[in-house]
Amino acid sequence: MTALQLSPRWGRRLGNWGLNLLTYAVVALLLAPVAWLVFGAFQTDADLANGTYDFLHPTTAAFREMWDTVDFERYFVNSLVICSVAALLATAFASSAGYALARFRFRGADAFSLTVVGTQLIPGSMFLLPIFLGFIWLNQNTPVQLYDTRLGLILVYTAFFTPLSIYLMRAFFVAVPRELEEAALVDGCTRFSAFIRVVLPNALPGIIATYVYAFLFAWDELLFAATLTERNSETIPIGIRTFISNYNQEYAQLLAAGVVATVPVMVAFFATQRWLVRGLTAGAVKG
Amino acid sequence: MVAKGLPVETPSRRLRAARAWRRNRFAYALVLPALLFMLAVHIAPTAAGIYVAFLDVNLFTFHLLFRAPWVGLENFRDILFESENPLRPGFIDAVRNTISYTAWTVGITLSAGLGIALLLNRQFPGRRVARTLMIAPWVVPSFVAALLWQFMWQSDTGIINRVLVDYLHLLDERPIWLLGENSIWAIIVPTIWRGLPFVILVFLAGLQAIPDELYEAAAIDGAGPWQRFRYITLPLLRPLIAIQLLFGVIYAAYQFSIPFVMLGSNPGPYADLLMTLIVRQAFTNQLIGYGAAISTLMMIAMLLWVAVWYRAFRRDLVTA
Repeated sequence: MTALQLSPRWGRRLGNWGLNLLTYAVVALLLAPVAWLVFGAFQTDADLANGTYDFLHPTTAAFREMWDTVDFERYFVNSLVICSVAALLATAFASSAGYALARFRFRGADAFSLTVVGTQLIPGSMFLLPIFLGFIWLNQNTPVQLYDTRLGLILVYTAFFTPLSIYLMRAFFVAVPRELEEAALVDGCTRFSAFIRVVLPNALPGIIATYVYAFLFAWDELLFAATLTERNSETIPIGIRTFISNYNQEYAQLLAAGVVATVPVMVAFFATQRWLVRGLTAGAVKG
Repeated sequence: MVAKGLPVETPSRRLRAARAWRRNRFAYALVLPALLFMLAVHIAPTAAGIYVAFLDVNLFTFHLLFRAPWVGLENFRDILFESENPLRPGFIDAVRNTISYTAWTVGITLSAGLGIALLLNRQFPGRRVARTLMIAPWVVPSFVAALLWQFMWQSDTGIINRVLVDYLHLLDERPIWLLGENSIWAIIVPTIWRGLPFVILVFLAGLQAIPDELYEAAAIDGAGPWQRFRYITLPLLRPLIAIQLLFGVIYAAYQFSIPFVMLGSNPGPYADLLMTLIVRQAFTNQLIGYGAAISTLMMIAMLLWVAVWYRAFRRDLVTA
């Protein structure tokens, strides 16, 4: 027995390596589906169907064909326009409201904060149904066209992603030192110009993080896009489904479309990751 | 409230009130745009939605929109108590599926997320790369995740059955994942997969905020790894767990994208969730009042959940 017994130091080292291996295995397992998405997109439909995967000779055929199979370009442009404008508006509103919550103790501040959290408790369908009826009513009775238009989705998304953005922005403004504004006020700035010229530039990483965050969530939104659009303003999550329903066997194209739909958010995320992760976790850690 | 401090000379009350208003006026102006949007898109429509739950909006009355006939509590009665009503079994299935979907996704995501965060918090070669890469599933949009998994779950051609049956020989027959009893797992697994990175990020941030001295002191006192986890890590992470649990349950209960993209507008009795049921009844079958009534019930259920949650974690919120 004594020959097999390990010294405590070696035992700990082995245990450590065991845990390291487990860590690598878990990360690999998390990444495997993403890798499969990318590899699959460079295969042919036949190879995917037969299991004759050929990783050495990737083909970009699926990427070229998918644009002709469905009108993917339209979905892509719609998503890009709707999400970037809505994220911009949500970030702007959230910046000003988040600043107010971070700096001022005003009557109604608690009620407002509670409303902001409260909106998260409402099922989307709760306000979706009246908005749907309202959009139809506006279309029939007024010149305001919101059903199946980009504008309609932009308005809905702006409101949809404002509450969480307010929470993020509040956390970022709390981190901006008060002394900066006080110095600006002493120098004769008004509160508004101190906000615009001193506070906002200092919170810029937070603003970018909030924008990307709102964009990511808008890009992912399906429920409202599925019900408030018909044939003009459908976004990628709607359009991409036509690959399964109409072109059942063309999985390479489906995966290629998935890659194209993922790339913009991947780029946005990893470009701003430093600030985004800090903002997301700061909000969560502080509670 | 007036800021704390030691004023050299107390300004008159009127002056103070005037100053408070002037400061507050700016704050109100800052809040106004967000408030207007939330009123227009969240609050007023929610009120209208509760109103619609009392209307009979169907294929024939749809053109009347908000002036559809008032039927009182009939929608609620049909859903909850009318065993003759053909819509009721579907509702019961959806409630059962939504509860098990929520319990499994939140339970596994939080416990596995904590475990993986503990692993990633150790010192090991490649730590930075591993912590960056593991975020990837969360950045994949959920509709792409659903399509990808739908492809992977395919019985004949999907990679999951290829690995389980052809490569590893763990199973003799190819299971059918997207139909029947398995289909609830077909939507649970991708939800966990996509939800994990965010939970891990939050727990990692929480773990890093725990001072090393606590562990060192405990180690000197002879506490083993399990005791250190049980008496230091877990209590200090409790506020984070509470917040994740609160929002995890709400988001899971309101999940729509993954079942809808993966299984279509009718996921079948084993995987139909409340949100897919509502959307199908309201938009495919134009039973808008029925959909609004279920939405109202869901909202009440979530308010109850928040109340239960608050009672359980009230003390943690004070320390958070």
